[in-house]
Amino acid sequence: MKNAIKGMLIVLAVVALPLSATAQQLFDFNGQAIVPAAVGGTLSMYSVMYDPAPQTTPLPLDFDNFEYTLVVSGAILDVNGNPQSYVGGVLTIYEDAGTAADFANTATFTDGTAILVGSFTSLNRIVFLSTGSVQGYLDWNGGAWLNDIAPEDQTGWAFLAGTNSRSPEPGYSEIWDGKVEPPTIIVDEDLSSFGSVKALFK
Amino acid sequence: MKKTFTPCALVSLLLALVLAVPALGQVYSVDYLGYGWEQGGPLKAAGDELIITATSTYVHPAFGVDLGTEELTFYVSGLISNGPTDFFGNTQINYTGGILEIYQDPLMNADWGVNPPNATSPGSFQEGSLFFAGAFTAFTMFFDPSGSYGSFEGTLDGVAGSIIDGVCSDCVYTWGGAFQTGSGAQVPEGYWIQVDGVFEIDAAVSSEAASWGSVKALFN
Repeated sequence: MKNAIKGMLIVLAVVALPLSATAQQLFDFNGQAIVPAAVGGTLSMYSVMYDPAPQTTPLPLDFDNFEYTLVVSGAILDVNGNPQSYVGGVLTIYEDAGTAADFANTATFTDGTAILVGSFTSLNRIVFLSTGSVQGYLDWNGGAWLNDIAPEDQTGWAFLAGTNSRSPEPGYSEIWDGKVEPPTIIVDEDLSSFGSVKALFK
Repeated sequence: MKKTFTPCALVSLLLALVLAVPALGQVYSVDYLGYGWEQGGPLKAAGDELIITATSTYVHPAFGVDLGTEELTFYVSGLISNGPTDFFGNTQINYTGGILEIYQDPLMNADWGVNPPNATSPGSFQEGSLFFAGAFTAFTMFFDPSGSYGSFEGTLDGVAGSIIDGVCSDCVYTWGGAFQTGSGAQVPEGYWIQVDGVFEIDAAVSSEAASWGSVKALFN
């Protein structure tokens, strides 16, 4: 019986190894931003998240049963050049099974459960022609799922969005299409020989 | 037999016009994520070729693609760099040539691997049925002063694929988004940039929101 359990554990361990393959991890979003006109103004952005398959989300998200929204709020324009530089700012990811997100009502993006809350450590926006980029970094420090990310993996996540001002929704300045990404894959993965796996159970 | 223009016919015509207005202004988009590399010369240098492989994360419902059972894969090739130039303190690179191919593939096996070209990239991004093929008429990359991120934008002429003339007529195809180099992004070994962008189809005919009264006034 003991050997049978050992064998089963070994098989499970070996089968589990391919699941931790090298797929990149990121949160993908597509939204609308309100960009301030002058220093001291506040930037905000409301977006819907999508399944980035074949890449994976850093934490498992149930896109079949929930809507996930990603919201940037409270970023203050500090330097109004090209690039612009912002200070402060919070990024929140919500999980919601209720009201569908509607750009005509920003409250539909901030209902549900705040599963991750992060603070920007830097945020810059640059415009080239009608398109541009927003790039920054953030640290997670709140939300219902914060403890699902190991403390050493909660800092230094990259934020990147492409922007265009050609045809935003009424009341918005730009369309933002981007991602939030950990600096490295946050799920542990180790390449292990079959012998080393067996050795774990001796 | 004398043809008469009856009120009923007028109403039918007006209804058809009103219903047609939103279709003219519709933008159909396909969101994608992927990675790119250059080959043939020093990075960014004139003559170097940019290649991108990507997969869709969102597709407009009008296309009828179910990303749960099939994937849309993107393969951009043949974009030849004209070399970097200054753009108000930033860097701009214009490219010439270039083809975009989009495939609809039920195998769902797209895999970037490492050090492209390799056994799966671009090969696994060129499988399935041809959804769209277009020739770039313009393509530009813009880099911030650090060179670590920026945006890209291009326009295309559609030349083949199942969606040609299937979604709108007289369409304009655009390809744009943001990119980031290995700093801050999980770029697979051997790739240069991560790209996140949108492929859009827009009617070339401009559109305006119109009230029922204003439409009727056209016929007064």
